[in-house]
Amino acid sequence: MTVMDASQVRVGYEPRAMKRTAQQDDVAVRWAVIGIAVGFLSIFIVLPLIAVFTQALAHGFSVYAAALVEPDAIAAIRLTLIVALVSIVTNLVFGLIAAWSIAKFDFTGKSLLITFIDLPFSVSPVVAGLVFVLLFGAQGLFGPWLQSHDLQIIFAMPGIILATLFVTFPFVARELIPLMQQQGTQEEEAARSLGASGLATFFRVTLPNVKWALLYGVLLCNARAMGEFGAVSVVSGHIRGETNTMPLHIEILYNEYQFVAAFAVASLLALLALVTLLAKTLLERRIGKVKRGVH
Amino acid sequence: MSIEIQNITKSFGTFTALDGINLSIRNGELVALLGPSGSGKTTLLRIIAGLDWPERGAVRFNGEDALERSVGERNVGFVFQHYALFRHMNVYENVAFGLRVKPRAQRPSESKIDAQVRRLLDLVQIQWLADRYPHQLSGGQRQRVALARALAIEPSVLLLDEPFGALDAKVRKELRRWLRTLHSEINVTSVFVTHDQEEALEVADRVVVLNNGRIEQIGSPEEVYDRPASAFVHDFIGEAISLPVEVRDREVWFNERPLPLETQGAASGPARLFVRPFDMSLVTPGRGRAHRSRQGGEGLRPTSARRGRVRPGARRPYCS
Repeated sequence: MTVMDASQVRVGYEPRAMKRTAQQDDVAVRWAVIGIAVGFLSIFIVLPLIAVFTQALAHGFSVYAAALVEPDAIAAIRLTLIVALVSIVTNLVFGLIAAWSIAKFDFTGKSLLITFIDLPFSVSPVVAGLVFVLLFGAQGLFGPWLQSHDLQIIFAMPGIILATLFVTFPFVARELIPLMQQQGTQEEEAARSLGASGLATFFRVTLPNVKWALLYGVLLCNARAMGEFGAVSVVSGHIRGETNTMPLHIEILYNEYQFVAAFAVASLLALLALVTLLAKTLLERRIGKVKRGVH
Repeated sequence: MSIEIQNITKSFGTFTALDGINLSIRNGELVALLGPSGSGKTTLLRIIAGLDWPERGAVRFNGEDALERSVGERNVGFVFQHYALFRHMNVYENVAFGLRVKPRAQRPSESKIDAQVRRLLDLVQIQWLADRYPHQLSGGQRQRVALARALAIEPSVLLLDEPFGALDAKVRKELRRWLRTLHSEINVTSVFVTHDQEEALEVADRVVVLNNGRIEQIGSPEEVYDRPASAFVHDFIGEAISLPVEVRDREVWFNERPLPLETQGAASGPARLFVRPFDMSLVTPGRGRAHRSRQGGEGLRPTSARRGRVRPGARRPYCS
């Protein structure tokens, strides 16, 4: 009976007033806010993207294609792909190890390690590049030793890879740490108690549990590795056909007023961004499902 | 498999979780580790399993040193409090896991694995859930999967951490009767941890009452209930009324009246009298003393008359 009474009291209020929520205050305000957001995104993101593709195709598709198959462009694309591949594999392994150690073990200096993982995010890429020049350059700390052994790191592929690794390291680890922390160690303990070896536990339990987050981290890592300009620019030396990655190649073309060629190569990078975005959206849906599965 | 636990001590930093635990568990027994949170019961269970290691002491399985062996080598089935089911595997694969990860030489054939998994799903009555994933299951169903998974390796010891803790009251009652029946069917030495005295008394052959890292009492459910060894046990198990009394000249005085009770060795001075509510009756003053012998009844255990207990050290707060 008391429940009935309560509902009758409620009906006494104006139902319309009850249904209105804080977000539905004013239609004008709502549309203004949405309009600003969409307008901002269009001007600063969608418009430039369209500009890249229209510029690239300004003189027709044959000119566009010619800019991409030109030897220096191919060398740049090749170098970028190699650097990205090495970064992905290295970050996959070390990001996984770092995330594993942080999420599953307690040790002194743990918070320091987490801070260090974030360092590349907070340091300017130019500084990151300079660090490697100071270490491995001709006047650098290891310079004389490297020269006497005829090893070249700066102005060569190893330097470019090192600089790229530096700026891309956080992506995989950052993606994994929160998920691994949330999942805890119980499933691993269960696997061990059922007789699984350490390796079997890792490959059958730990890895499958984080695979989507891992893939997501790799995706972001790849996008950054291919697009990195600052750090790579410092250590590359801009040798055409040898140490130019795609972003560096684009800059050189642009500085030489070869706009169509510059935008053609740029459109490739932009395409990569779009593919990354699509894959990211798909992955986020997967991860969302996995996370819901937890509870 | 019998389990011998000798003088186990374990601390986390400055907190002593276990302080000189001695316990022997007989082959085929179903033992409950009962205590409030922080009493060290889960730590003890994890040490038996090989998921934690003690600072001192010994754990022996059938007389053999178990501390030398890792959790994987002890052949224990462990049911985790929150089940820890492999979330990316369906029920069938969860149960099959322990068989699939066996070294190649010992690994059963695919058809044997299948037969074993089907038999276990049958045993825990969830055959129809084989293709489901953990997140599609209810708490009680997850519990059954966890149990089937632990039993798949044909463990010599079954360890359960708060097996019914995460379930609602009705399911909990059903499942604990079912566990009792299951244990008498498979008869594997089992230890489970619980903070719920009702659960411990109903399911276990023997109850180990833990408090602050020490064992307060080991005994059958009847023993710990009817003859609690300490004030803590009396207070923790069953309902207890605590009366402030005074011991004078080997007599127990309450409210300036002497009670017809033995002092049970309590020293003179203030004391606390623990009594089961149903062992007391209120009578009109001067109408004489009621001595009534209780009979076993619904929900009650057989008791003898007048089992008030006197403990020294009045007003000492007891953890519960």
